[in-house]
Order: sequence, then structure tokens, then C-alpha cells
Amino acid sequence: MVEVFNPNPTIFAPAKSVKPFNTESLWVEDPFSFDADGEAADVEQLIDQEEIFDLIRSIYDPEHPNTLEELRVVSAPQITVIGNRVMVEFTPTVPHCGMSTLIGLSIRVRLLRALPSRFKIDITLKPGSHQSELAVNKQLNDKERVAAALENPVLVQTLEQSLVNASLRGQPAAEA
Amino acid sequence: MASTDSAERLVTTWIASGRDEELAEAVQEVSEGRLLGIVKALGIYLTSEQDELRTKGVDFLATVIARCPENALNRQSVKVMSAFFCDKLDDTETIVPALKGLASLPPICSAADALLIVNAIFKHVTMRALVQSVRFHVFSTIDGLMAHHRETLKGMKSAFIAPYIALADGEKDPRNLLLAFAIARVILIEFDAAPHIEALSHIVFCYFPITFRPPANDPYGITPDDLRAALRRCISASPAFGPFAFPIFLEKLAAGSPPIKRDTLETMTICFPVYGAAAARISARKLWNALKLEIFQPTDGATEAAALAAVQALVLTIHGADDAPGTEGELQGLARDACTECVGVLREPEKSQARPAVKVLCAFMTTTPSVARYTLASAVPHLLRLLADPDEVPTRNAVLLLLSDLIAAARDSVKPAESESEVPEPPLASYKDEVLGALISGVGAPQTTRAAIAGLMGLVSTPRLLSEAELGFVVLKATDVLETCFDGEHADDSNALLKLLMTVAASAPTLVRDQTLHRLMRALPALAPPRADNAARTSYQHILSALSTLTGPAPLCAAFVSGLVPLLTAIAVDTPHDDDSEPAAAYLHALLTALRRTLASKADSEDADVGGYAEALVPVLFGVCVRAALHGEDGPACEPRVVGVVGDIIGIVVQSLPSPQQQTFVAGLVPAFLEGKVAAICAAEHVSEGVRFLPFSAEATTPVRNLLVLFEAGIVPLHPTVTLAADINVCEETILEQGLAHTNTERQAEAVCRVVGSIVNKHVDELGAFLEHKQSVYWAERIHAPTNATPRRRQAIRVWTSICKGLLVRNHALAHAFIGRLFEVFEDVEVGTEAAKAFGEIAATDGVLTKRNAAVVKFLWAQKFATGILPRLMKGAQDDNSVQQHAHLIALTSLLKAIPNASYAHEMQKLMPLLLRALQIPDAEIRAGVLETLRSAAAQHPWLAEHAPTLARQVLQYTKARGVALTSMRIRVSALRLLGALPAVVRYDVLHPCKADVLRELAEALDDPRRSVRKEAVDTREIWFKYNG
Repeated sequence: MVEVFNPNPTIFAPAKSVKPFNTESLWVEDPFSFDADGEAADVEQLIDQEEIFDLIRSIYDPEHPNTLEELRVVSAPQITVIGNRVMVEFTPTVPHCGMSTLIGLSIRVRLLRALPSRFKIDITLKPGSHQSELAVNKQLNDKERVAAALENPVLVQTLEQSLVNASLRGQPAAEA
Repeated sequence: MASTDSAERLVTTWIASGRDEELAEAVQEVSEGRLLGIVKALGIYLTSEQDELRTKGVDFLATVIARCPENALNRQSVKVMSAFFCDKLDDTETIVPALKGLASLPPICSAADALLIVNAIFKHVTMRALVQSVRFHVFSTIDGLMAHHRETLKGMKSAFIAPYIALADGEKDPRNLLLAFAIARVILIEFDAAPHIEALSHIVFCYFPITFRPPANDPYGITPDDLRAALRRCISASPAFGPFAFPIFLEKLAAGSPPIKRDTLETMTICFPVYGAAAARISARKLWNALKLEIFQPTDGATEAAALAAVQALVLTIHGADDAPGTEGELQGLARDACTECVGVLREPEKSQARPAVKVLCAFMTTTPSVARYTLASAVPHLLRLLADPDEVPTRNAVLLLLSDLIAAARDSVKPAESESEVPEPPLASYKDEVLGALISGVGAPQTTRAAIAGLMGLVSTPRLLSEAELGFVVLKATDVLETCFDGEHADDSNALLKLLMTVAASAPTLVRDQTLHRLMRALPALAPPRADNAARTSYQHILSALSTLTGPAPLCAAFVSGLVPLLTAIAVDTPHDDDSEPAAAYLHALLTALRRTLASKADSEDADVGGYAEALVPVLFGVCVRAALHGEDGPACEPRVVGVVGDIIGIVVQSLPSPQQQTFVAGLVPAFLEGKVAAICAAEHVSEGVRFLPFSAEATTPVRNLLVLFEAGIVPLHPTVTLAADINVCEETILEQGLAHTNTERQAEAVCRVVGSIVNKHVDELGAFLEHKQSVYWAERIHAPTNATPRRRQAIRVWTSICKGLLVRNHALAHAFIGRLFEVFEDVEVGTEAAKAFGEIAATDGVLTKRNAAVVKFLWAQKFATGILPRLMKGAQDDNSVQQHAHLIALTSLLKAIPNASYAHEMQKLMPLLLRALQIPDAEIRAGVLETLRSAAAQHPWLAEHAPTLARQVLQYTKARGVALTSMRIRVSALRLLGALPAVVRYDVLHPCKADVLRELAEALDDPRRSVRKEAVDTREIWFKYNG
């Protein structure tokens, strides 16, 4: 049995995900004659904080059957998008958490797969939240080391386990 | 002597040949009472010195006896046979056939024979020396004796049990085990098994838990579940097993895999009540510790549920007798300790362990009343204390969530009372005031609103808990909070609050009407807020969405409508005419949309009061619309979107009317639209007698003609028995010709076509002249006439389509003649494509010709049509003539898009190449349609393999938003979904060469300008990343 770093973490309710009414539009949405293809509005919808949070909120913690969102490891305000730069900050549940690198790596893999290649992605620990913060940050943002880690089949399998429900985007999993 | 001869011949032939015919004849002989002849003829073989012959001889006799009908042998013969076979058990060469013979004797032998047989078996049979099929005979013999001579065996006492245990020990074959378990259960329950209980436990518990996995092609079809159930019946047969069972359970629970854990837990749940309180009390501590582990560190949901059930059974067993009269007093023992332990965990309510702790407490609620009382008495005050503690403010949300779980468990623990007189008091009654107070104060604080609502939900849904006044207090508070939610920040809270209010409304609608509804209605602005006032607009949208959710019960709906009518009128009529009437129209639209949502959900649940609004509401709606339309173009009620919603509302109301009332309604509607007598159907304050309203005539303005939508809404839901006009042919022709002659919008023409189609569907038998005219004149003059203007011809095809559809839905004989005409214009440059696309429209299900609209709809009409027409379209799509081919391909894809994929699954092999070709057609709608067809087909049919690589590469092109001609969001989304569906149905090696390309090119789709496309792209790419050999 591997050492469990935090056997009894605090669980938070998932953030509210219901989109508010579209206040820009005069007309209420009409479900009876709603046309799914909103092609008329060919405005470009930019990738924003909320969309990136949606991508990573349902990643599982490697140690618990809870998502990163439920453990408040990640949250929308901790994500910044400026031009082609994405900065994701995350908070481990305890300062000695040995899983931090793995969590960071799973966020990185998810974003590598789900964001266009034009983005440069920085993943860092929340300042002051971890005892070996610098080492972890360095490891997570070193291209060579990330690539080397992804060569390790056991590690990749663990990552796939964490990412298995990532596409739920905060929705509750369907009952099996 | 003839019979002896024939018997001898039979025996000799069989010994030589072993054929079945001789056996059958011998059985016949024995059935006719000539057993003696057979035995005599067998004589020399039965006593032969040669081992092989002796075996064969006994085998023959055993087989014959086994096949004989039960009454063929008399008592004496049975006695002789028993003695004979028992005798042969001694001989190693004949033991096998002798056992076979004995297996058929128990039903017919006497008690003395039974004794003889069983003793002989115990004496001579060594199970370990026999193969499983022979051991099966032994078990069947004993099982048969158990069934027919149980008293005799019981009388043997230890002389039976001890040797039987020795016999059954070490059995491994599943088929034999099923019998052995059944025998053991009878011994445990009916025999005096006490002296042998330990030995019995050895031959039962050595099989627990069952880990048998049936071999492939198991001829006996025994499943692990059969064995598990049989063993469970054994284990739970005797209370004396308790001391042996508990250590085994604990050991298996600690070491087992999840299925074994589950099996153990389920077995424990069954066994606790049998083993009894005394035994359970001795091991209670250990059992609780083991079960606790399964709940607090569950391996999976099912195991956790099984463990909770086991805890319940344990508590019920131990404390089941506590509630007997005279045992009042403090609860002692397991439940008390476990409760204390769980409440101890709840000291840190925000931690993850608090959840399982409260689950255990909830499980205790459904055990015995005294345990439930104790649980509430220790948990509820503790949680209330935490809520009151100023140091614990950050954990309040978690505490309230735990509390609401307990409330719900307390509610569910009360079983429905059998009679009114002895209704038990809800368990929570004694804490009601404190709990209600805590929840009410929790609802007020934004941090804890959701959790508190969950708790209140539990309280209000507990029968007989809250008084009317307390319910009123809850409603008042909920409404207060609801009003603060309309700023858009707390949409989730408002949904939960609405659910709470709806729960109250189901039992006490007047409370919600007087407090919530009236306040919300008053909060609606009297006139539309100006365009720039986003906040006011958001606020009314939220209020309306809340109102439409709440107003399901009849009194609420009536109050909603009566409050809405003056508001609607005021906006439609009194809005000052200035430059910008759009905000007013949008507000009107929002109000009407809310009303439609209410009525639609009421119609879905078939509420009786919907039809009542034909008198209270419909004339007002007609009045407002007609008045506005006659007044000019810029009134808010002239807006086509507003008219559309009004039409929907009228449609819903007319649908719910019974046909006599529909008749009265239509007697006003048809003259109003066709003859201008509109005042009759409108509210008098809006439209006075003598106004000029002729929407079908050339002089009608666009707003007036837009009201054809309301005509459609009134006509389409009519029952077939309702008479529209004296001469329906003339009426239908008038509607069609005059209606289409002057239409200037799509929607107007659509309304006319729908009316025509609906009337054709319901009155086809009276429309002979109309249909005849269409076939002979209309087709030639309007459609098949190249000189006509193209738009007119296209419109005529739409009319034709709706007639076809009206006929086809009811499987009318004329339908195919009408549809067949469409092929005639396939080569036409102007209208060929329209005619081809019509096939999709004809087969599609729409909202017009439905059961709810009283249309005559035959079962599976679309599937029948598709099956009939598919071969012709497929043949045409391979035509040499390229124009024909193109049109057929379009017709084919439109049709496939419209029908469920089961109806063309069998043709998929041939359709694939056609569909791939259809993808090339430069038409965005068709391309998206084909992609969707392919995807829905891909989900079910593993036919794709041969085309998959081509398909993947081609579809990949359509996922791109930039640098590709002819793309739309719908195409991109469909293409991505199709790509995402492939890995699930195609073997990896087939698509392996494409994987790298797909992943690379999908990266481009990740950067799509539209968010919904990006989402699909991410999901599809993720699927391909995981796609491995």
C-alpha cells in the first residue's frame, strides 16, 4: 500500500455551472423553435478562463475518488489566459502532498491534448502552498522532463486513470 | 414361451450391439409386466464370471428400470430389485450400473427398502473412487430418499448423518454440490443435527465463498449464482452455525476481492436474523469493525450499499427485541457504541469521513424505533450545536448537508401506515422546532442556502410533520430568498428553491399562490423596460421562468393566467407608439413564452383544467392579435415571434378540448378567417362588430396575413369527427388557393400547407373531388409545367408534399400514387432538387400530424414507407443518367436522415458507397445530414471496417473551419461526432494508419472559432488518444 498523504481531505461542493440568461439579447430563448445552429452569429468565441477550467475540473485526484474541483485543487480564478499564454495555478490539499507533481502532470497532459498548440502553458503551485514548491514547478514546466515522464508506461497508465472522466466537465458522472 | 424367447433375443442382441431399439422393446416388455422374463434372460450375464459381461448385464437391467414408467413394477419386484442392486454394490465391476439402477428406485420403494438402500450405500460406496457422474447417482439416490422417505431417514438419526457427512466430504462437482447443499439444508432444518453440527459446518463452509467460474459450453448450465444461492440457503439454515460462521465471514471480508466481499456481506445480511441476537452480540464488536471498514473506505458503491444493509440487519437482530413492552430504558450495546462512534466522526463535519458516518446513522433510522430514537437523540442535537457554535461558521454548509441527509432518512424510515387510527408520529417531531429554525436561518445565508434548502425539502416532504402555519413560514422565507436570486448569480439556488416550493404546492397550493405567486406577479414590470436596461430584463426573465415552473397545480395556473391577461393587454395596447417597439414585443413574447411553458407541461401531464382556458384566455389572445394586426405594422403584438407563441398556446388549449367543444370553437374560427366574422372569436373590448378582417384576400396586409398561423393553430388539433364546413372540398380548395395566392412570407405558406395536410389526413374520405383535381389538373398545371415561375412551382411541390404526408401517415391507398408523381420531375433543372428533398420531409415525424393533434397515425408508417421506397431510390442512385442519379442520391440521403436507422440497417452494406458519394454533393444541409446518418448508423453496425479509413480521412476535411469551402457549424460538429464514434465500432488495426493524421489534424479543430465545435473536438481527440490496440 502506498503512503496516503492526506487520508481525510475536505470536500467542497462543485461550483455552480448553470449559465445565466443571455442578458445581451432582447428575446428569451425559445425552446420550441430554437435552432441549434447559431450560424448567424459568426462572431469568434475566444478560449477563456471558464473553458479551460471546464477542461480540467473533472480530472480525478490520484489519491481519492474525488475530482480536482471537489478538492479545490483547481478553480476558475486560478486560471489566466493572456493572448497565447495560459497560466494554471493549483493548490495541493496538504503542503507535503507527494502527489502534486502527478496532479500537475495530469493537468498538463489534459491541456496538451485539448488546447491548440499555439498556447504556451505554465502550470504552477499556488505560492506558499507546498514545501517543495520550486522543485515541483521546475519539474512541471520543463519540456524535457515532461516528455521523459510520458515515456514511462506505468506513469501514463496512472495518468489515464486520472483523466478517465475529464470529459464530464463538472457534470456528475452517470450512474453505472 | 414366446415371450421368454423374445426376451432372450433382446438381451443377446443388446449385449452384442448396445443398440437403443432393444432397450425400448425391453422397457415395453417390463411395462407389460414381464420383468421376470427379462431377468431370467439376463440371468447368465448377471452372474457371469466375465467382468465385462456382468457389467453389461447389470447396466442393461438398470437402464431398463430407469426408463420404466413408475407403476410398471410391483412392490415385490421393487424389493427384489433394491436388494439386487444393493448386492451388486459390493462388486467393483457392477457398482457403477447398480448405482444407476438405485437412483431410479426411491420414488417406488418401501421404507424397508429405503433403509436397505441407504445402508448399503454407506457401507459399500467410496466416493473418492468414483467419477463425478457416478457420484451424481449417489447424491440423486439420497436426494430421492430424502424426498420420499424422510421420516425413515430421520429415524436413523446419527446413523444417517455421520456416514452422510463422510460421504459428502470433499465433493467438488457443481452439479453434485447443488444436490449436496439441498440435502444438507434438510438435515440442518429437520434432523436432529446438534451432535454433528461441527462436522456439518465443515462440509458447508469449506465452499464459502463460491468462486466457481463455469467452463465454456457447460452442458448443465449451472451458474455461480445458482451455487451461491444454494449455499446461502444452507448457511442460513441453522442458528447453531453462528459461532462457526462469524470468524469465517470476518476472514473473507478482510481478504476478499470486491465480488467476494459483496457475496459475504449479502450472506451476512441473510444470516444475522437466523443466528440470532445472542450469537450476534458476542461477535458484535468485531463484526461492526469489519463492516465499518467497508463503509468508511468503500471499494465501490455496491459493496458500500451491501455493507450498510448488513449493518442494518445486524442492528435489527441485536436490538429487535428491545422494543418489547417492559424493556424501556437506555439503549445499550452495539447500536449505542456505533452511534457514539459515528457522532464522534461528525465532530469534523467538513471532512470526507463525515459522509459515510452519516450514511451509517441514516441506515440506523430504518432499523428499530428505539435505535432510531437514540440515533436522532445523539446526532441531531450534536449537529444543531455545531450550527450554533460561532467557531464552526465555515463548516455550516457541510453540517446542514449532513443534517438534511438525516432528515430525509427519518422521513423514509416511516413505513406507510396501514390504518388512519394508528399513524405513528414522525420520528423527527420532537426536534422539529430547533431543526426548522436552524434551516430557516441557513436559507438566509448565501453560503448555506443550497444545503438548507435540501433540509427543508426533507421536512416539507415528511407527512404530518409541519403544521399549516409552519409550511407557510417556509414558503414565506423561500420566497424571500427566491427574490434575491433574480440577479442571475444564484440560478442553481433558485432551481432548488422552486423545487421546494413545488413540493409544498403539491399539497398546499393556496399557500404558494397567496405568498409566492402574488409577490412574483407584482414584481413584474407593468410596461417593458427600455432597451438599455439589461438588469430589468434579466430580472423579468428570471421571474417568468420561476413562475412558469411553479404554476403547474390548477389554482396556481388560474391565478397566473388571470394576473397575466391585464398585463398582456396593457403591453399590447397601451405601449406608446414611438420608434422602438422591439423591447415591448420582446417582453410580450417572454410573458407568453412563460404561459406556454406552463400550459405545455400541464398538457404533458394531462391536467383537466387546460381546456378551460378556451373561454378565459383564447378570445383575449385572438383579440389582442387581431386588434394589433388591424391597427398597423408596428404594434408589439404584430411581431411574428409573438404571433408564433400565441399560436402554440391556442394549439395546446384546443388539443385538450373534447370534440363537442372543438366543434363549437371551429364554428366561430372558420367564418372568422374565411368570411371576416372575426368579432365572434375575439374578446369584445378589443375587436368590435363589423371590423374588416380578411386574411385570405388580396387586400390583407402582412400583419393580418401573419395571423394565418393562428388559423393553423386552431385547425390542426381538431378531431376527425369535427365538421369544418358544409362542403369540405370547397373549403379545402379555398384555403389552399386563396391562402397561397398572396402569401409573402415562408411562415404563412407553411401554415397553409399544414392546414391542407392536416385536413387531408383527417377527412380523406370526403375529399374525393379535391384529390382528383390535384392529380389530374394541379400536377400538370402547377408542378409539371416548365413555363411557370420557379418559386410558384416550388411552392406547389410543398403543397404536394404535405398532401402526400397527410395520406401516408394514415397508410392511405392513394399515398403511393401521389408520392410516385414526384419522380416525374427529378430531371427538371428548376425543381428536381426540391422534389428529391421532399422524400425526407414526407418520412420525417413532425409536430403537426401527431396523435396529440388527433391525426390518423398508423403504426410504423415511416418504416413501411422507407422499406418500400428504398430499393427504388438505391437503384436510381446508380443510374447511368447523371441528373437522375444526383436527384435520387439527394432523395435517398434526405430519406435516411428522416427515418430511424433500424429501418435501413439491413441495407447498410449497399448504402455505404452511395452515402460516401453523397458526401461530395456541394450542399451544406445534405452533407450535414449524411454525416449524422453515418454516425447514428455507426453506433449500431460494425459494417464500417472496410470503409473506415476512407471515411475517416474524408470526414477529417470537414472538421476544419478555415480554408475549406462550404462549411457550417453543423457540418463540423457532425463530422467530429462521427469521427469520435469510429473507434468504438472499428477494430484498432484497421484505423491504426490514420491515427497520427487524425490527432494532428484535429489539433486544428481545437482552435475552432465556435465553442461548441471545440468541445466536440476535444472529446473526439481524447477518444482517439485512448484508441489503442
